[in-house]
Amino acid sequence: MVESAMPLKIRQKSVDGARDEFEIRDYLRLDLFPHFLCPGCGHGIALRALLWAIHDLDIEKDQLAIVSGIGCSGRLSAYVDANTFHTTHGRPLAFAAGLKLARPDLHVIVITGDGDCLAIGGNHLIHAARRNLDITCIMMNNEVYGMTGGQVSPTTSLDRFTTTTPMGNQEPGFDACALAKGAGATFVGREVTLQTTALKNLMQEGLVHKGFSFVEVISDCTEIYGRKNDLGSSPEMVLSQKRSVLPRFDGTAVDKPFRAGNWETGILSRQERPEYYSAYRAHCHKVLGK
Amino acid sequence: MSPVPGNSPQLQSLQGNQACALGAIAAGCRLFAGYPITPSSEIAERMSKELPRVDGVFVQMEDEIASMAACLGGSLGGVKSMTATSGPGFSLKQENIGYGIQAEIPCVVINVMRGGPSTGMPTRPAQGDVMQARWGTHGDHPIIVLTPSSVQEIYQQTIQAFNFSETYRIPVIVLYDEAIGHLVDTVELPDPKDIETTDRKWATGPAEDYLPYAPDKDGIPPMPRPGDGYRTHTTGLTHLETGFPTQVPDDVTRVTSRLLDKIENHRDEIEQYELLSCGDADILIVAFGITARASERAVNMARDKGIKAGLLRPVTLWPFPEKALQELAGHAKHVLVPEMNAGQLILEIERLCAGSVPVSGINRFDGETIKPNEVLAKIEELNNG
Amino acid sequence: MNAKKKSAKSVVAVSGPTNVLIVGVGGQGVIMVSKILARLSQMQGLQVKQSEVHGMAKRGGSVFSHIRFGEEVWSPTIPMGEADVVLGLEWAEGLRWLRYLKPGSGTFISDTKRIVPPFSCRDRHHDALHGYAHHTVAEIVKQVPSAYAPNATGMAIELGNERVANTILLGVLSTVMDFPAEDWLQVLPEFVPPKTLETNLKAFEAGRHWTTQPPVPEVQEQAVPQPQAPMRRQVSLEITGEWCKSCDICVKMCPERCLALDDHQIVELVKPNACTGCRVCEWLCPDFVIAVHVDVVPLEAVSADTTTEVRI
Repeated sequence: MVESAMPLKIRQKSVDGARDEFEIRDYLRLDLFPHFLCPGCGHGIALRALLWAIHDLDIEKDQLAIVSGIGCSGRLSAYVDANTFHTTHGRPLAFAAGLKLARPDLHVIVITGDGDCLAIGGNHLIHAARRNLDITCIMMNNEVYGMTGGQVSPTTSLDRFTTTTPMGNQEPGFDACALAKGAGATFVGREVTLQTTALKNLMQEGLVHKGFSFVEVISDCTEIYGRKNDLGSSPEMVLSQKRSVLPRFDGTAVDKPFRAGNWETGILSRQERPEYYSAYRAHCHKVLGK
Repeated sequence: MSPVPGNSPQLQSLQGNQACALGAIAAGCRLFAGYPITPSSEIAERMSKELPRVDGVFVQMEDEIASMAACLGGSLGGVKSMTATSGPGFSLKQENIGYGIQAEIPCVVINVMRGGPSTGMPTRPAQGDVMQARWGTHGDHPIIVLTPSSVQEIYQQTIQAFNFSETYRIPVIVLYDEAIGHLVDTVELPDPKDIETTDRKWATGPAEDYLPYAPDKDGIPPMPRPGDGYRTHTTGLTHLETGFPTQVPDDVTRVTSRLLDKIENHRDEIEQYELLSCGDADILIVAFGITARASERAVNMARDKGIKAGLLRPVTLWPFPEKALQELAGHAKHVLVPEMNAGQLILEIERLCAGSVPVSGINRFDGETIKPNEVLAKIEELNNG
Repeated sequence: MNAKKKSAKSVVAVSGPTNVLIVGVGGQGVIMVSKILARLSQMQGLQVKQSEVHGMAKRGGSVFSHIRFGEEVWSPTIPMGEADVVLGLEWAEGLRWLRYLKPGSGTFISDTKRIVPPFSCRDRHHDALHGYAHHTVAEIVKQVPSAYAPNATGMAIELGNERVANTILLGVLSTVMDFPAEDWLQVLPEFVPPKTLETNLKAFEAGRHWTTQPPVPEVQEQAVPQPQAPMRRQVSLEITGEWCKSCDICVKMCPERCLALDDHQIVELVKPNACTGCRVCEWLCPDFVIAVHVDVVPLEAVSADTTTEVRI
């Protein structure tokens, strides 16, 4: 039987003392670069934040498993110098469940997208949240199926144009965080790529959390979605993220967004519930008198 | 009773599906991910009871697809994993079975066949998944399919399935029908130390310049275990020896051919079959699973009547024991293929015989098994020409 | 650090109004001190005019109060160079108003407490010199005919309440004015919160007592902390040109506008001295093109440009 991974701790850093600098290149498979993402794609920024969080938590690359699905987000795993698994469409959470159950000593992170996680993989999300295995799910939400050419996704905003909503989207979208929370996820947060350090801190909190943690990253699809909807250049898109969010901290703030439809960002929910593998193992031992 | 703590052969009265679960445990399976479906649910039920005793993990996933995915995930982590299902669930698992084949992940999938298509007849036996087991997932791919025909053999073939999957780094399908799955019979469980189990080749040596998909001489690459320092990439995309995707025609031809060849080149070690009275057989019966049991009886009844009938029972349905069939068919006057479908295995037999001998079938797809008398009647009909 | 230089006589003007300028930052009690002084003057049967600015200050901003008293007072504000006393509750505020002091005869009283406003340093380079007053206490005491610079806040902390520093300074002020000590002690309770009266009375006495201590020639030349060996950030931007996809995010998001796309639409550093090494470009580059390396080195070791570009 494999022992569970050691709990992670957030390092307290001295303000001005020597800190070991985060060099992203230490965590990349450099011979695969430049990566295949379009210019200005928010996924790259999100990947940096994730690797930064991993660095600051001193997670060893050998003990790190990154499982991704299909789509632009799915390709990210290949660029990370770790044990990486680019699985089938919508299923990374299910693959990750098997992997984590077999190898609780690994730190298992799932990278997925809005289509991968909420449409084809929606069932896996709600059950991963319910089961509460110690997995961190990073969902990149760019409101579109980018890899296949820009079709409508479960998070596409109303009236947005995509290749399958040529007259503007009329389907309401998911609030992924509300969905994850409702399904029982014990850690739920959302952040924009513009706030890279906040995003990194959020991911760090999610990684430290024992149980299923869900982090939604608001990421820009500049080339396909942005262009089709006239959302401006890459810098304009990333800056405009500010206008569509309201920061919130650890569920303690009572503020609500000024404008309807704005996303709240920050840690939206955090609760304690037995982690699945430890609980399963402990219970079996108890019943079997081991 | 778990087979593991025992120390001598035990006789047990077991249902086919339970024998499957015990075989898996004996083979070293330590992770089962499943989803309830008739008529295979007993496998999951027994696994949920057995696995915690051997520090394994049972998990009932949210659907068939997730079960297959979790099974592959467990194996990627280095733990022998299994899932079990029936026709509709088997259809759902196909994409991930393809992933397992492409990424070369050992695992075992049990498919207890029931009437189809679609929901069909959940509680009735059938043998309609012969072709789905071979070609269910898309693209050109190799596969190993084992078809036990008794409860004892389910136990043994489940162990064999794990051994093949570990040896050749491929998902192995154990295909049997509801009739065998729910059959209760006396089974001899061998002493665990007499059970031969195989573990996959693990990557060893320096991590620098390590190529996860560079095959050894046997065509099979050793597998990197997460945590051992190799930090490789696993993908369902067609990939180079490095593990990273390619679309260069020459490269694709090379890596996909290797994938196909790794089974093709080991046919001799993989192909298993059983022969009954085949030496001088004029009428060669080819049957598997419950139908092989009826055919065995029919052959014996025919021999009593002086008719030279024989039975070739493939245990590996895929790859099909081609040479054995072609050799036997070369001496036979008729080949008879009784099967509980509208004619699937017969297509492969006809292909292999290539017109050298007449091939006819007995087909039932009404949820009933083929009876010895039906086979005997057909033997007599063919004998009377 | 504290210092004093006593004048021989009282500051109360012989003819014309006596001018006292009380300055500090919001929350220190400038207004309370002026009210006490105004009340005292009234008790002496003098005319008093007080003018204060504090509306915009809130806590932490600049506050000043003009107090003029005498037989006859017309204007409420003190002209520059006419203040008999400048009483500073904060060091830099005291210095800011020093030019209002009557040349040759004015008395300067100020706490040596330094409250450095966040915007005193507009230069974002590491350890850059800030704009806060750099004069040492001794330098100031030397310049002024009569000066009292106690570490009032330090004394107040010793008394158990930092907020009574103003009363300590009031005690100092009382020694240079002609009003009887009993009057001060009578007025004080009217203006301080009853709970703190005891501490305030002690503080007043402590202020008076401090002036009777022998002059401190041994001015502790404890210099205002100045960067002795000035350090600077030496930043290098490592730019992997082949990875750049010209998305323009770094160029537009750089707060100092020191990046641009070159003829090949690849990012380059165009204003090396403007770069502060803030890393925004590094964080927001989706293609990991820019790596910011920051070293803190002695000023003289900094190359001509504080930021250099390393092309890969």
